[in-house]
This record gives sequence, structure tokens and C-alpha cells, in this order.
Amino acid sequence: MKKLFRIVVPVALAMASLAVSVRAQDLASFEKRTTMKVLPNGLTVIVVERPEAPVFSFFTHVDVGADREYPGITGLAHMFEHMAFKGTDTIGTGDYAKEKPALGEVERKYQAYLREREKSVGRDEKKLAELEEAWQQAMKEAQKYVKENEFGKIVEENGGVGLNAFTSNEETGYHYSFPSNRIEVWAYLESDRFLHPVFREFYKERDVVHEERRLSESSPFGRLFEQFSGAAFIAHPYGRPVVGWPSDLESFSETDAENFYKKYYVPASMVVTLVGDVKASEVLPIVEKYFGRLPAGPKPEPLRTIEPPQNAERIVILHETSQPVFIEGYHKPGARDKDDADYDALQDLMSNGRTSRLYRSLVRDKKIAAFSGGFNGFPGSKYPNLFVFFAVSTPGHTPDETRDAIHAEIERVRKEDITDEELQMIKTRAKADLIRKLGDNQGLAFQLGSAQSLYGDWRELFRHVDDIAKVSKADIRRVANATFVESNRTVGMIESTQLAQASAAGKETK
Amino acid sequence: MIPRQRITVALSVTLCLLASAPASHGQATDWRKIQAPPLHAFHPQEPRRVELPNGMVIFLQEDHELPLIRGTAEIRGGSLNEPAEKVGLVQIYGEVWRTGGTQSKTGDQLDDYLEAHAAKVETSGGTDHTTVTWDCMKENLDDVFKVFVELLRNPEFREDKLPLAKNQADTSISRRNDDPFEIAFREAAKLVYGAGSPYARVPEYATVAAVTRQDLLTWHERYVHPNNIILGVAGDFDSAKMEATLREAFESWPKGPAAAKLDAAFEGPKPGVYFVQKDDVTASTVQMVDLGTRRDNPDYYAIDVFNEFFGGGFSSRLFSNIRSKKGLAYAVGGGIGTDFDHPGVLRLFLGTKSKTTAAALDAFLAELNELKTNPATPEELKKAKESILNSFVFRFDSKEKVLRERMTYEFYGYPADFLERYQAGIEKVTQDDITRVVSRYVHRDRMAVLVVGKASDFDRPLTSFGPVTALDVSIPPPGGAKKTEGKATNSEGKALMSKVIEGLGGAEKVREVKAFREKVKLKVQTPQGEMSLDGEGYSVFPDRVAERMTTPMGEMAMVVTPDASFMSMPTGTRDLPGPQKDRMLQELWTDPLFVAQHAEDPKFAFAAGGIEKIGDVEANILDVTANGSQVRWFVDSKTGHVVRTVAQTAEMGAPAEVVSDYSDWRAVQGVIFPFKETSTRNGQFASSEEAVEIEVNPAVDPKLFEKPATSGGGNP
Repeated sequence: MKKLFRIVVPVALAMASLAVSVRAQDLASFEKRTTMKVLPNGLTVIVVERPEAPVFSFFTHVDVGADREYPGITGLAHMFEHMAFKGTDTIGTGDYAKEKPALGEVERKYQAYLREREKSVGRDEKKLAELEEAWQQAMKEAQKYVKENEFGKIVEENGGVGLNAFTSNEETGYHYSFPSNRIEVWAYLESDRFLHPVFREFYKERDVVHEERRLSESSPFGRLFEQFSGAAFIAHPYGRPVVGWPSDLESFSETDAENFYKKYYVPASMVVTLVGDVKASEVLPIVEKYFGRLPAGPKPEPLRTIEPPQNAERIVILHETSQPVFIEGYHKPGARDKDDADYDALQDLMSNGRTSRLYRSLVRDKKIAAFSGGFNGFPGSKYPNLFVFFAVSTPGHTPDETRDAIHAEIERVRKEDITDEELQMIKTRAKADLIRKLGDNQGLAFQLGSAQSLYGDWRELFRHVDDIAKVSKADIRRVANATFVESNRTVGMIESTQLAQASAAGKETK
Repeated sequence: MIPRQRITVALSVTLCLLASAPASHGQATDWRKIQAPPLHAFHPQEPRRVELPNGMVIFLQEDHELPLIRGTAEIRGGSLNEPAEKVGLVQIYGEVWRTGGTQSKTGDQLDDYLEAHAAKVETSGGTDHTTVTWDCMKENLDDVFKVFVELLRNPEFREDKLPLAKNQADTSISRRNDDPFEIAFREAAKLVYGAGSPYARVPEYATVAAVTRQDLLTWHERYVHPNNIILGVAGDFDSAKMEATLREAFESWPKGPAAAKLDAAFEGPKPGVYFVQKDDVTASTVQMVDLGTRRDNPDYYAIDVFNEFFGGGFSSRLFSNIRSKKGLAYAVGGGIGTDFDHPGVLRLFLGTKSKTTAAALDAFLAELNELKTNPATPEELKKAKESILNSFVFRFDSKEKVLRERMTYEFYGYPADFLERYQAGIEKVTQDDITRVVSRYVHRDRMAVLVVGKASDFDRPLTSFGPVTALDVSIPPPGGAKKTEGKATNSEGKALMSKVIEGLGGAEKVREVKAFREKVKLKVQTPQGEMSLDGEGYSVFPDRVAERMTTPMGEMAMVVTPDASFMSMPTGTRDLPGPQKDRMLQELWTDPLFVAQHAEDPKFAFAAGGIEKIGDVEANILDVTANGSQVRWFVDSKTGHVVRTVAQTAEMGAPAEVVSDYSDWRAVQGVIFPFKETSTRNGQFASSEEAVEIEVNPAVDPKLFEKPATSGGGNP
């Protein structure tokens, strides 16, 4: 029986390319269900009709993330993810006419407090305490007018689920799902929170965000990623944590937020994607009516800074009481580069499933790692970024061991062509993965909106699979050789303090 | 005919709850004026239920949107049913079931075949069931389904995949204290259900090590029978054809014994304040926990409404008051937990910076207090119900979700129309119902308070909330099961110890040794390969050790004294963690010279038993307990030399058995030392050393034990 299997497998592999039909899921048929429109103010709307059940999901993608921050305001882009739930001049307020001046007072008092606090010479501690107290008092006064979390309440009462948002190094996204009869309520709420935002409870929410930062501080992985990214990028904002530095989380102001918002939250930077039980012909007029209210503004200039070539290996080692972790990254071009599909193919080869090279070497055969993979696009994908390799050691095995095993696999992919079977498997899986993505409103809204925002065309979601289908063995070797070189490498490790001792001393004490 | 359940969505009814003043369509100024039209009629497609004569229950759910077919078999019996001494068995079973392959194909062959077709067949172990799933493109169904059936009926559990699965299990154990949230949820379960409860216990190195291939085979034989299986298939197929395929594959499978139901008693936590010390965090994780209840409880609907406004979602009391108003937490929530067949956990949880730990706990107490006088405002009740009812459609907005719900009800013996009843139940919830469930289930004085964090940074000591019980979460080392109380001294042991003392040069010489210095040549196994080093070590009884060695990276030193323990490297100096210091002292205290000096000390015990050949030497086994540390010695019956020592350690965060062999005995100032030593760790070569020079009672420079002034204390 086993012999038979061995004969069958190669034949089956050769057939695999024929095995996956994309039938009704190709771009042409998807295009028929998809409508895109750019409103006069520059906002892009995508509507995908998928009437499986009377619900729809949406994503609002805004083309700004932590990439547009500068020292002093790190973490600010992420604040909007939180502020977007604070309401508008009509939602979340008991009496906006009175709340508005109260908020103005909060800001004046905060600025006075901050000016004193930031004095490096001649700071008056007594005065500082008074100014802080005045600021706290002003916040209490403004709080009187707040209707706590009213925006979220309205969404939830209307049957909204999955209400959330995210911020990355390069974009911000807002999303939830509604029963399909709530389309107009949605259009009102979603446009109004960008048209009439009120940054109430700003400083309380800044504390909440600081708590969010502490979550990652409390995780050894969080501490490692922060140090690793900081070492890998010396010029580009990818080197800074999206959540921001503690000092900035205790300093930036509501005024900073308003300035940032005015500059970057313009319709030309926004993509709204709706997927579900919606008809483009019915929905587009509603979207135009509500989102058309947003005033046009110039699309911000692209980010200028490009990470300079790395010319020396960088290493960060964290000595922790937790268990060891190994990560290393190599600079490579961004997602819009022609080689991006080659890197995705490499990721699949290295990481996907039990046939992946790193699983077979580090996990299955050497048993030195519980998990290992190689991933394209860290910590973001829009700008030139990193291809990272990662390993979580099994007990008693050091990061050095996992590094050596990863390097052996990198050498292999640099020196030898991958096999025909591997290449075919990568292409087959890329097609199947796309199909699996199409059966979920929220996932689709995210994927399409993200593609539109990043590439200026949602069709890239489909075209990328075609790009992968064109990848050759030579392409993979070429990008591997161009990328995986020592001087282009940044290494991050957690060494267990016990482990460091044991491997450095290397002997039993007696 | 198979009865077709129909969830009739009376959404128009629920819509009325919201239908407020209708207004003209043209205004974009007030959301309240926007009228939502009725949701169009929607009758979710129910799966077809088929019960085979052998008891297997099958659900077929056609879904032609995409050319995919997925199947899930749920098999009764899970980790709740595994024996206490083999906790982890089902986790390992769930892994090796797939990786160990079938009788005709190895797991690796399956990987090659399936991955080439972008298909998956996976197995896993859960708490009350195990699972086999497949997921494939329609055109690969025949072959993939064959793998699925083979795994169910003829798995092989090949031995070579067992260590791999155990490795994974050990990795989880070794890392389980890295994340404070994980610690809190694990320890909270122990508090609520009892530490030994099947609902709370976790795998340990020893229980994982105890699992054998035979255990996996026995488990499979005991549980995987058609009458214990619910199989759901969804996707692009024709139900009649699929039913025929499944009948063909499974109808001839004979019935087996039914899985036993677990009968557990639940008492709830012992009220009090519990604390887990974790020093590498900037925030505390706080939980208040008690037993919750089951979903077949008539109170379930009121509980869900309560949970909605109290601790779930953006509009809840906990979120608004503790996060939005006070800015005390990012993650905060809670509610009365419910489960299908056992009580869930009533839980309030949050994370907050260390210096607001007590303030956050105060905030929880204030919320609980508020509940007594104000269980729910009419507004809260109304909005919570609207929220649940208006989002009800999301419980069945895909065919696969409908299938999963039905499988769950079938598994737990709930009525097939449970979802319909749920909707009706929610609609009926009143203010009085909320008052009742709050007074019935929410009791501050029955709750356990659990805090994971760094106590020295707290705003107020936890004792201000009551007596504090410290929880020890340290991970028992692998030898843990064996590591019982040291054996008591027996007369043979005493006699053997005298022989050892003679072999060291006699009692008088032994007594004179206050310290010794060794200059050695070392060979060490490192991750980079074997390394040769020169080293020098001072052992000063009873509690000082200083070792230095020259390595390719530069000079390194390691020092342990009662006041400090550190290692210095060219890159700087760092403190040794507690366990490492203990390990070094343990080495010192089990040194034959030190033990010989304490032959009469009651803290030392010597138990002889058995003879074993070590090479050509006939050796008597002597189990030594020294200051609480245990070591096994193999004593040459002719010379009294300790030719081998065996110690269980937990080095590098992992269990290890360290075996050291000694030879080349020479006298130094009348004291006999072995000049050669070779050590293995878990059977692998670890190090060897050859003494170049040994000196008894050398001059000891106090500077050897001083911490370099440039050192930083902890982590860089």
C-alpha cells in the first residue's frame, strides 16, 4: 500500500494545477457584483452585493497610520481609533452648546499645565500642582455634559456587531456589521463621526491607550518586537511602536489631535467598502448623500523618508525570565514592488503548514522549535519593510540553535531551486486561499478596502494571485540572494536568564 | 421525512422596539429621524439531519456559493475524561492522531498529498470532545474524504510523532507563566472549580511524560465509535449524493460503548484575596470570580440581558465607568458565565497599571455595590434587549453558522429550536428578572479576588481588601512526580557514608577542608558545538562559589554568596535568577566533601539500597538528602569513591537528568579528589573536565566575590 502511495503522490502533484478551478470566483464574475465610485469630494466607495443573509459589513479605511507621526506625538494616529467612538456634536453630548466651551477650557488648562511641566529649567512644582489641579477640574466640568459611549450604544441598539477599529503603521480602519435594513442609520453615523467629531474625554482616553501599551509591555513578545523594530529601522517610522512612546502618551494634546485630523482625515484618503445584502443602485445614493457632506481637502503628500540601505548586522538581545524567542529580519521592498509576489511565495514555502521548510527542519526533524516561520511584510507592507524569520524554542533549546537551523534553510533557498512540486503547491494554495476569503462579508470588506487604499485598485486582491502564478524558481532564488545577506540583517532574541547563564558558563557548577 | 426546524425570524417585531418617530427621508441631521424599513423575511436554511442505524448523527448543509466542501466530526470524550496522572493525553492524542498518519500512509505522506491540493484534514483534542475536520475544493472531495475516513477508522499513532507532540506540550508548559493574562485565567479556573478539577487542571511535565502510544490507542478504542459522533458537512454538494457517500462510508461501522458523562460537583471558590507575584510587568491583571450557571437554567435569558449592559460591549457599565470615565483600564469586562453542561465562571476582569491596582479593585467593588440598589435602569434593560434582538440575525447569517448551532444543540442534548426559544426568552425579560438574577448569582462575599502583578508598585497593599493568600505558580520540574521527601537514613546508608568518608581521605582530613580551588580544562557542549575552555573555581563552604573561565567571547565569572549572586561577562554584569542561584548552592551542598562534613547533621540523610555496575565497577547506590536537595550516588564498594552522581534539575527552564562520572583519583594534601569528570544531560554529552591543579584551603581573595562596580542590576 505504501508503495502505491508513493507512486500516486507525484502524479497527483502534477495534476494539482488543474485541480483548482476558480469557476465563478474569478475576477470577471466578481466584478459584476462590485461597484466602485469616487465621490466629488474624493471619497472612494466600493459596494459588493452578496445577498446571502440580510446583513452587511463595512470597513472605512483611512490612508494614515503611525507613519505620519513625528517625535512628540507618537501614538496619536491610534488615538483616533479610540476617539471615533466618542461621538459628535449631537451624539454623546447632553448639551453641546455648553460642552464646547467646557472642552475649550480643558484644552487651555492642559496647555498651561504642559508648558510648566516641560520647563527644563526653573519649573515651579507648586505652580505645576495647581495647574494640574485646574486642568483636572476643567475635565470634571466638561464631563458633566458627556453621554457616556452613546455612539457605541446607538450602534449596538440597532443590532450592530463587531464594532471596532484598528491602527497600523500605515492605515487606520473602522468597522462593524449591521442588519441590512439599517443602511441609512449606518450612513448617517459613519459619515457624521468623521464630519462632526468631538474629541471629548481625550485625556482619559489617552490613559486608556497607555494601559493598552502596558498590555504589550507585559508580554515578552511585545517587549521584543518593540526593540527589534527599533533596531531594524533607524530612519523610517516603521521603527516606532504604533501605540506610541510612554512620554508622548503623557504629553500630546487634543490640539495636536485636531491638527493631525484636519490634515489626514480628508475624503481623498478614505475608502468605504460595503459587502453583503446591499444593492449598489440603492446604496450609492444614500452613501453620496451622507458622505458627500465631508468637505474635500488636499490629499496629503506622500511620506518622504525612505529607510537607507543597511550596511551592518544589528543585534538586540533581551535578557528575560521568560522563555527564549528568536527573530531576524531582512530589509526588502514594499508591497507595491514588482517582486512582492516572489516574497509571498517565499513566505508560503517557508511557513505554510506541515510541508513548510521551517516546520520540517526546526519542528519535525530537529525538534528545537515549537513554531517557526518566515513572513513577508513586517511591521507593515506599504513601505519597504522586512522579511522576518521567527522561532519559538522548545524547552532546553537556545535561540542560537534555532538561528543556525533557520540560516541553513535560508542557504538552501539561496543555493538550490525549490522543487516543481513546491512551486506548484504554492500556486495552488494561493488560488484556494483567495476562494476561501470570498465567503465572509467582514473579511471581504477588509481585503478589498485595504487593496483599494494601498494599490488604488481593489482588483489587486485578485491580480496578486495571478502574480503568484507567474513566479518562477529563478525569481525565488534571485530575491532570496538579494535579500538574505548578513549586512542586511537585524536580529532580536529573548535569552532566558537561566539559559544565558547555562550556555555561557556551559558547565555544571560543582 | 426529517423534520425541518425553521428559525422564523420575527425581526419585524424587534424592529418595532426601535421604530421611533418616522420622519422624511431627506434630512441628514439626526439619526433618530431615520426610519429603518422592516428587514426582509429571512428563513435561514436548516441543515438536513440523518441518523444512521449505528447512532451516528449527520447534518448536511448545502451551500453553493463557493466550490468548497467542509466536514467536521465531533466525538464525545475529551480532556475532562483523561486520568489525572496523564493530563495532556487528549491534547497529545489530538496532535498525533493526524501527524501519526493512518495505517496506509504516514502523517508526512498525508501532509504532502493534502498541501499539494490546498486541502486540510486536521484533528484536535478539546475539553469534552475531540474533532476531525476536512476542508477541500469540491473537486478533491473523493480523495480528501478517504483520508478523513481513514483517520477516523484506522489511525496509526506512529510512535515517532509522540515526542514531537510532547515537545509542543512541554513548550506550552514552560511558557505558561510568560503572560500575566494567561496566568490569571488559569488560576481563576482553579479557584472556581478547584485545583484538581477536570475543568481547571493543566498538563505538567510529569503528566505529559506519562503518556504512551498505548494510551492513544486505548483512547481511540474507547471513544471513537459512530454512536459518539456528530458529523456536519457544509458546502457545494448535492445532499442526496453526499448522504449516499456517508452511508457507504459509515453505515457498516459497528456501534461501540457510549462515552461516559462526567459527573462533577461544583462548590465555587473559597472567598478571599489571592495573589500571584510577577515582577516583569508594568500592569496588574485583576479578576473577581465565582461559579456561574448553565444555559438550560430558566434564568439564562435574564442573565444574558444583564451581561449585555453590565459588562459586555461598548455601552456596558464596566466599560463606561472604569474605562471611559476613569481611564483605569484598556481591557475591562465581565458577566455571569454560562455553559451548556456545567456552570460557567462569573467573572469581572481588567488590566490596570500597577499603581492603580487597588483603585481598580475599588472601582469593581463600587460597581458590585451599585448593583444592590440599582440592578438595572429601565433604559439599560430596554437597550440591552434591543441590542441582543436586533443583532440576533448574526447568530445565523451564514449556512455554516446555522449548521454549527444545530451540531452544538445535538451534542449537549438541547432542543433543536433553542435559538428560537432564546429569542422569545429575551423578549420576555423584565426588570424583576434582572433583580432576581443579580441577587441570586452576584455575591461579593462569595467571590475570590485574584491579582497578578508586582506588589511593590501597588497604590495600596492588597491586605487592605482582606487576608491575602499567595499562589505559587512555579512550574513543577519534570522529576517533580518522583521528587518526594528524601528517603530516611538507614543503617546500610550510614555504613556506606563512612566508606565514602574513608574514600575521601578519612574524617580528619575531610573536616579540615574549608575551601578548595580547582584549575581545569573544560570541554563543553554549546549550541555552537563543542568548546574548549580554561577555568578556575573556588568553592568555599558553606555558601560561596566563584568560578571564572576564559572563553572566545572573553573572561566570564559566576559568583554566588549569601548576599549576591551574579555573572559577569565582557558585556556587563547581571544578577542570577533565584532558581539558578539555588541550583549552584545545591551543587555545593551535594559535593561529597561538604556532605561528608555533615554526616552527623540531622538535615542530611543517607539511604542505601541496591547495587549497580558502573563500567567494571560494582557500585552501591546511596540516596543522599542534603539540605533538602536530593542526589543519588554510586559508591565504589572497594574504594568508597563516588564514581557517579545522578541529579534531577530544571536547568534552562527544562527538566533534565544530569549524570556525572568521576575518575582519576589523586590525593591533594591528603584529600582524595577525582581529577576527571564527564557529565551528560538527558543522555546527551554536556561537558567534561580535567583538573590541572587542585589546592585545598587556598588563599581566598575577597575581591573574587565582589560585584564589579560597573554592573547594572537587572536587565539592560
